[in-house]
Amino acid sequence: MQLDDFAIDNCLKCSVCSAACPVYSANAQYPGPKHLGPELERLRCEGFAADTVWLEYCLGCHRCDLACPHQVGVSEMIARAKAKHHKPLVRGLRDWWFARPGLLGRLTTILPALSNFVLSMRPARFLMSKLIQIAPQRRFPAYARPNLRTPTIGALNKERPRLLLFPGCFMRYNRPELGRTVIELLERNEFNVEVAETECCGVPAVANGDTNMAHAVARDNVRRMVNQVGAGMRVVTACSSCGHMLKTGFGGLLKDDAELADAAQRIGSQTFDLAELLMAQSDAGTLNTGLQAANLHIAYHAPCHQKSQGIGRPWFHLLRQIPGVTADDIDAGCCGMSGTYGFKQEKYSVSMAIGQQLFDRISASQPQMVATECATCQMQIEHGTTFKAIHPAEILLQAYNGRPY
Amino acid sequence: MDSHHFDVIVVGAGISGLTAAGAAARHNQKVALVATGPGSFVLRSGCLKAQELMQPGSKQEIGEAVAFFQEMAQAAGDPFEGNISEVRYLPTIFGDFQGIALAPRSLWNADPRSDATTAIVGIRELSCFDENFMAERMNGQARGLGFVCTYAARQISLSRIFGGPVTTLRIATRFDSDPGFRSELVNVLKHAASGFERVLVPGILGLHSSAQQFAQFERELGCSLSELATLPPSVSGLRLFNRLWGYLHEIGVELFQGFPVLKVQIQDGTCTELQVASPGHTMILRGECVVLAAGQDSAGLLGTEFARCDEQMRPLTSTGSVVAWNLFVAESGSYDRTEGSGDDMEILAGYRTGNLAAAARGRYAVG
Repeated sequence: MQLDDFAIDNCLKCSVCSAACPVYSANAQYPGPKHLGPELERLRCEGFAADTVWLEYCLGCHRCDLACPHQVGVSEMIARAKAKHHKPLVRGLRDWWFARPGLLGRLTTILPALSNFVLSMRPARFLMSKLIQIAPQRRFPAYARPNLRTPTIGALNKERPRLLLFPGCFMRYNRPELGRTVIELLERNEFNVEVAETECCGVPAVANGDTNMAHAVARDNVRRMVNQVGAGMRVVTACSSCGHMLKTGFGGLLKDDAELADAAQRIGSQTFDLAELLMAQSDAGTLNTGLQAANLHIAYHAPCHQKSQGIGRPWFHLLRQIPGVTADDIDAGCCGMSGTYGFKQEKYSVSMAIGQQLFDRISASQPQMVATECATCQMQIEHGTTFKAIHPAEILLQAYNGRPY
Repeated sequence: MDSHHFDVIVVGAGISGLTAAGAAARHNQKVALVATGPGSFVLRSGCLKAQELMQPGSKQEIGEAVAFFQEMAQAAGDPFEGNISEVRYLPTIFGDFQGIALAPRSLWNADPRSDATTAIVGIRELSCFDENFMAERMNGQARGLGFVCTYAARQISLSRIFGGPVTTLRIATRFDSDPGFRSELVNVLKHAASGFERVLVPGILGLHSSAQQFAQFERELGCSLSELATLPPSVSGLRLFNRLWGYLHEIGVELFQGFPVLKVQIQDGTCTELQVASPGHTMILRGECVVLAAGQDSAGLLGTEFARCDEQMRPLTSTGSVVAWNLFVAESGSYDRTEGSGDDMEILAGYRTGNLAAAARGRYAVG
């Protein structure tokens, strides 16, 4: 991972980043992170546009950054170039929407049942494929009434430490019950939870090359959380991509505004992945250990944005604390979905080719279910295998409730 | 012991770090490996030269360390053939022969065996590999070394590589991910190999493939097959790294990849924690014993006080006192080094520090 903002001279062209890149392996034409990052960056520094359609094909998985022996920020160079890349009208229009899952969520959840019905209709999917190049093989996740609220705190529990839950779009618009699961898990571990009044974390905007949107959500989110964090609250996320974005201080998006950048960095330093927080409780001996036994074999898949947080693999260790549970850390690379990437018609085959290794290894493990904390990894695994994929928080809460899956 | 607390933490995933982690894990220790990326070993071929291994005085220990490394590579599915007192002549892409003591199995059978007729198969559009030049030089070189064997150049075309410059890395990733590509490769190689007892190809047979997959491919081809190490990054070196990394994961070594160690915290002669530069907040890892196997970066982590290592691989200050009793430095420079890459010394340093750290663990209590 990068230490300096501009580490281009650290690149020795060793190609270890390309060897680690999921797209490079899956698509024979993709030039790979070494070329799109440091190599073309030298031209871009000299004022050449060096624009190429392949910039769109970067997943933003950060595996190149993690593999680099010399801490070159490869993916950030690609992301900056992606933001300047010119797309044809239709793809541009589609990606404008994909950069705004919050807006999409607000609109679809006015009448969620109707939205779900329309989005799942064959003719609608056919039209979306023809008009805006959304892969017809994909199903949109079901939308739900956005009713995740800060729970009322009983008088007896007022003294517990308060956490600020950053819900993210999926939890807010698709699975508010996952939010309630997370809140209940944290309450069972003596925390009070306040749901942050935030919007999208900005990862989809960056991934779709929409800098303006990314800046707007980063600014907005920082302003909405800075006071609570200033008052000593920690931020907790259950989505690995949101966590990655918050922890990296919104990916350096705000560095032109010293005050906001400083606030973003303070928020980042106080942001914890749900499992990271619970594992810290476990390490301190303060985790609620009232976990009922469950006879369960789970395949665990670590999302790329979990790996890019550099926190080890806390969910894997937490799941194994449930008596009777065996967990298999699949460790077969990226799933290929990468948020909105897998929905794009022209990228669908690459997305599935990347996931193939993961699908094969999951099938070989023959689990009762797959646990992974990223919602789009879950979608991809269910699309590419016959196994159910759920958030590990759900398994943990069931173990507390004594209702094993 | 909590999830960030280990018996032994190894910093660095070069050949010494991987060996140290494997050696410590063999003693049933809870081991973590922290690394930003693979060491320089992967950029080279993964071969150990013979003359490097003839260190006076330490030959037996090198033998033990190398034997351990071979066991680990075998278990990882990328066996390392040879032994420290054997010399085998393996061809290079410059058309000459190098005396090699140990090499990955996929490279090992490329030696100039007597009476063998060998096809050197190049790939159309592949850069930095000239089969005609190689065959011509190798025929002359083999005669000079007294081998009775002949080499002939052949070239194949692969339809399934399209767009972009063709590199060994590109072909190797196709080999890994595309079964159709593997069948095509077998078929065109069979054609090129007809009339030959052996085929030599550039290193292209997968970044992750195992010895079993190699053997399967060789069976399908129907004649002896070997790879040649190409210019860095070498596919055989990357494959060795990937297989060893996967093996350590499998045996339960906790792998922390991607973020550098910022600081080695030392208090009153004990290394108390490592601070890792993960985003947001620093990750703290605590090890009962710590092995620094980060090459030149190890000295940087130890700071200005560090002068050299004692015979127990512990870092000493310039006045000769031990920096920390539970800290070990896989410092291959503490041995006399003859010419060469020093990979054997790295294996020895990794093996020694891994064992020493595992042995020291538990002898003292961390405060």
